[in-house]
Amino acid sequence: MTQKTEQDSTREMNPRYQAARTTAIVGAVFLALFTVLLVINLIGSGVIGPRRENKVAAMKVQIQKEPTNQELLSEIRQLDLKIRRDRTWRLDFARKAAFMLLGSVLLLTVAGKLARDMTREPPRPQRVMERGEMQIREAKQARRAVAGGLGILALGMLLLGLTRWVDFGRAEDTGPAYASMEEKREQWHRFRGPGGAGISAYTNIPTQWDGKKGEGILWKAKVPLPGKNSPVLWKDRVFLSGADPNARQVYCFDARSGRLLWKGDVPVTPPREGKFEIMEDTGYAASTLATDGRRVCAIFPTGDVAAFDFTGRRLWHKSLGIPDSAYGYASSLETYEKLVLIQYDQGDGKDGKSRFYALDGVSGQIAWEAKRPLPGSWTSPIVIDVAGRPQLITVANPLVVSYNPANGTELWRAECVAGDMAPSAIYAGDLVLAIEPYSKLVAVKPTGQGDVTKTHVAWKMEDGAPDICSPVSDGTYVYLLGSEGLLMCCNVADGKKVYEQELKADFRASPSIVGDKLYLLDLKGTMHIARVGPEYKELGKCELGEECYASPAFADGRIYIRGAENLYCIGQAP
Amino acid sequence: MTRFARILTFTMALLVPCLSAVGELRFPPPEFESGYQFPQAAPLPTARSALYEYLDSAVLVAALLLASYLILRRRSRRAIFGLMILTLLYFGFWRDGCICPIGAIQNVTLTAFDSSYAIPITAGLFFMVPLVFTLFWGRVFCGAVCPLGAIQDAVLIRPVKVPRWLESGLRLMAYTYLGAAVLFAATGSAFIICRYDPFVAFFRLSGNWNILILGASLLLIGLFVGRPYCRFLCPYGVMLRHLSRLSRRRVTITPDECIKCRLCEDACPFGAIREPTEDWPEGEYKIAKRRLALFLVLLPVLVAAGGWAGYSLKERLARVHPRVRTAERMYLEESGQITETTNVSNAFRATGQASEVLYKDAAEIRHRLAVGGALLGAFVGFVVGGKLVALSVRRRRAEYEADPAGCFACGRCYTYCPKEHERRKKSREAAAGYR
Amino acid sequence: MANDKEDITRRKFLREGLWGACLTGVGTAAGLTVARNNRDNTVWQIDPYKCIGCGNCATYCVLERSAVKCVQAYAICGYCDLCTGYLVPEPKALDTGAENELCPTGAIKRTYVEDPYYEYTIDETLCNGCGKCVKGCLAFGNGSLFLQVRHDRCKNCNECSIAAACPSRAYTRVPAGQPYLLKRVDLAK
Repeated sequence: MTQKTEQDSTREMNPRYQAARTTAIVGAVFLALFTVLLVINLIGSGVIGPRRENKVAAMKVQIQKEPTNQELLSEIRQLDLKIRRDRTWRLDFARKAAFMLLGSVLLLTVAGKLARDMTREPPRPQRVMERGEMQIREAKQARRAVAGGLGILALGMLLLGLTRWVDFGRAEDTGPAYASMEEKREQWHRFRGPGGAGISAYTNIPTQWDGKKGEGILWKAKVPLPGKNSPVLWKDRVFLSGADPNARQVYCFDARSGRLLWKGDVPVTPPREGKFEIMEDTGYAASTLATDGRRVCAIFPTGDVAAFDFTGRRLWHKSLGIPDSAYGYASSLETYEKLVLIQYDQGDGKDGKSRFYALDGVSGQIAWEAKRPLPGSWTSPIVIDVAGRPQLITVANPLVVSYNPANGTELWRAECVAGDMAPSAIYAGDLVLAIEPYSKLVAVKPTGQGDVTKTHVAWKMEDGAPDICSPVSDGTYVYLLGSEGLLMCCNVADGKKVYEQELKADFRASPSIVGDKLYLLDLKGTMHIARVGPEYKELGKCELGEECYASPAFADGRIYIRGAENLYCIGQAP
Repeated sequence: MTRFARILTFTMALLVPCLSAVGELRFPPPEFESGYQFPQAAPLPTARSALYEYLDSAVLVAALLLASYLILRRRSRRAIFGLMILTLLYFGFWRDGCICPIGAIQNVTLTAFDSSYAIPITAGLFFMVPLVFTLFWGRVFCGAVCPLGAIQDAVLIRPVKVPRWLESGLRLMAYTYLGAAVLFAATGSAFIICRYDPFVAFFRLSGNWNILILGASLLLIGLFVGRPYCRFLCPYGVMLRHLSRLSRRRVTITPDECIKCRLCEDACPFGAIREPTEDWPEGEYKIAKRRLALFLVLLPVLVAAGGWAGYSLKERLARVHPRVRTAERMYLEESGQITETTNVSNAFRATGQASEVLYKDAAEIRHRLAVGGALLGAFVGFVVGGKLVALSVRRRRAEYEADPAGCFACGRCYTYCPKEHERRKKSREAAAGYR
Repeated sequence: MANDKEDITRRKFLREGLWGACLTGVGTAAGLTVARNNRDNTVWQIDPYKCIGCGNCATYCVLERSAVKCVQAYAICGYCDLCTGYLVPEPKALDTGAENELCPTGAIKRTYVEDPYYEYTIDETLCNGCGKCVKGCLAFGNGSLFLQVRHDRCKNCNECSIAAACPSRAYTRVPAGQPYLLKRVDLAK
């Protein structure tokens, strides 16, 4: 800094210069002031505001648990009002302060420039030698800089090139989005396993256990909320759902240890008027879940459907509307590829309310829906493989309808059943076997098209039939189990009754076949094990010690049974 | 269950309300019995009248005319500064910096490539009028009319000289920015000039944090480095540079003959004053000729290399387009690599469109960006090669002059020239003499 | 010298030529814009049938208070006691208590009309365009609440930041003379 010259001093005494300088200083002061004010305001809206919002959110959760706490209620309302008032005020203040800030910046700039203008120093060019060489040097440096710039650009492009991109030209990728039919055959992915057949893929299933003494029981886990749905298995996970009038939940247990891995909440659509009520026999969680190998899906009698991934994250939730179902909606789910198949029968058949929905498993959007001119039913749909092509078989009053599960087109229908349909159909011996409760067992050939009532009904066995439990068959014999304990065995080929056996027990769970054995689980929890064959031969009875409504699920060397309160895993320690 | 239980539950079930099928109104509109009428809502506010758009264009032309007069005739820095502040207030703070000629490049590009896009006439005028003025009178737009330039010029307090070589290197960014902006506008991917406009957040007095920080950083740099956005980033400036080189009349430090007193050397905060050239030492000419030949041969190589690089980056470039991003996300979800969904993928599914259509569209966009990317790369290669060639050619200047391409016509250098002072004194005396 | 003069005139000729070419180029751009010109100016607007109520409108708008506000289509509204656009998913009671309201700024006003109908109106000065009510109304109600860009607030940016971030690509440019896309009963979804 050189010494002040006389010129400088005269310049500074100039009143215009002083005015400009003062204005500039004033501008700077205001600038600082408004910056500080804006920063304070920012802290308010960025820190204090969200903190208050979190607090009120927590309080809102709290009030759900304590609905009568008036103090908490008024606190919530006051805090909410405060938050809203502050938010508006802060926005207004920020805007005004920004204007003032702008004004002070303008003031500072213009005044500062004027002041500076008046006190400019005269130019003092430096001594420079050899301009020619300097220019050559500058040009060389410039060329180097440009080359350097090129290098940086190239580096940037290289880095960009290292980022990944998605090739959607390729069909295969790391694994398909859903499990194949083959994979499903080895798991128990829905009610009564693959095809709803109730047949275990494994034969190394225990034949002896005692729940009361704890023998043969690998683990027992308490299920938080009750429900009548059966366990669903996928590799090392067991899925259940449970509900009560206030909550609906999906549970995932570890198949090896019985530890509850996660529970997922399903939001509930409240009814337009009043409270949702359901028959005690059906319960709030009657439908069994289904999985496609990547997601598990659950439906509740309120018409709420939700899907979770295997880590417990809820993927989507959909409300199909509260169904008009006499006993409460209880049909279980099925999956096909990545579609979730829902048989949504309701009403009296003439009001056109019944539908079949196929939801996209990933997003929950409706992939296709089919109108069904049928009243409410309590059967579950099955997907079977007929001559290499998949068919979706549904049973309601009075039709057995088959659809193409990929797009919902109707393949064939047969008018052959009646009544309140609860037992589901099965596919055995190349025939679709459907039950008319209390009345008959009907066999339909699934190879037809259109209305096959007169052409493809193979036989009808009219000696009576069960009202709740679905049948089970090994292809030769089909077994029907009545809820009051009557076991009937018929030939699959012609429908002729082979034998009848009174089991002196009540049954809700559907029968299962393991290898050459019949597993029948009664209401008290006792498993009746009998030989599959033309005559009844009991092989043993195993007690559990708890009431059982749900059907058992079978895995490699394991049986999973859901009792009224607990989930049991029966098997030997590995 | 018993018959009785069934009857009971059936009657109970009649009380449970049911909802109409999905696809129609869930709740039928009510029939009011009390004579209720729908409330008369206030009419929805109308958009800004088209008249204002024409007013903006008129103000632009008027400002440019005035700027040309002040810069080339009046030659007063104070007046130029005053006009600059006025246009900053009008185009910047009053009109919120949108629409500006820099962004208008994208609108015009989109018009050329997308026949369904109808460009508002203001955008077209804003693009063309400053270019025409530049062809006649140099970068008068930059000097006193552009709000972005004005805000940077206003905050400049202590200019630091940026070495010439650094300038050349940094200016590559502006060319790349222009090329990328044209590419993304032409393919309908995004208007990146608008998205990354650093100063528009200040004009609006609101914006998201990233842009505010970017703008504030540029302004902070701009306290010391004059007009950083204008010199190193502005894509419009690239075009103005080249047109200004051809302009009929341009800014001169003095209209009279330069006496090479060297007093103006440090006058320009933007490094736009060029000194007279000197003869090189003997051996230098041969080296320079060889170097020039080398760079001329290198030029097509750079163009080809750039084109190849741009082409191979087509998939990454395509990600700027939202349809491609949607397709990538959908593919990841559908192939099971990701189990969760996002708003984007859910929204796509809600449209009911088949994902095959999405993939086809995205593949088409990628193809367009392959061609475009190659052109962009070739353009950047050409610019680099061209710059190298230009730096190997010998310039001949006899006096101190304002670089026709880089001069922002701010008028600061006028008062540094003693000949200018002489001329002004003479004209003042002549004016006084007439009275 | 003669050579220099030649060089100068050649260079000048080149320059003039280039100048003319540039002027022509700029003129072509002029021609293009006039040819494809839009007589009517356009502004941004949301197509309410595409909107999914994601909430980006409140956060992506460049203005502090978003230019997007919620609108109520009274002809479509069901006037339900249990309005899923007004109340939180599991309300403690069906009243106007703060703990039951979905709207974070309290912009929806609920008034009793007759049994069992309630009228829901939107106070625009409070609405911030977050779309929570839109999402609730779409999911479980009639979808009468929807978002619209307000043209007394919208700056009509060359590239709308919300449009770029909208997951369902619901933003389009509409003529400034008819700047709103409202829901109608006959087009009810």
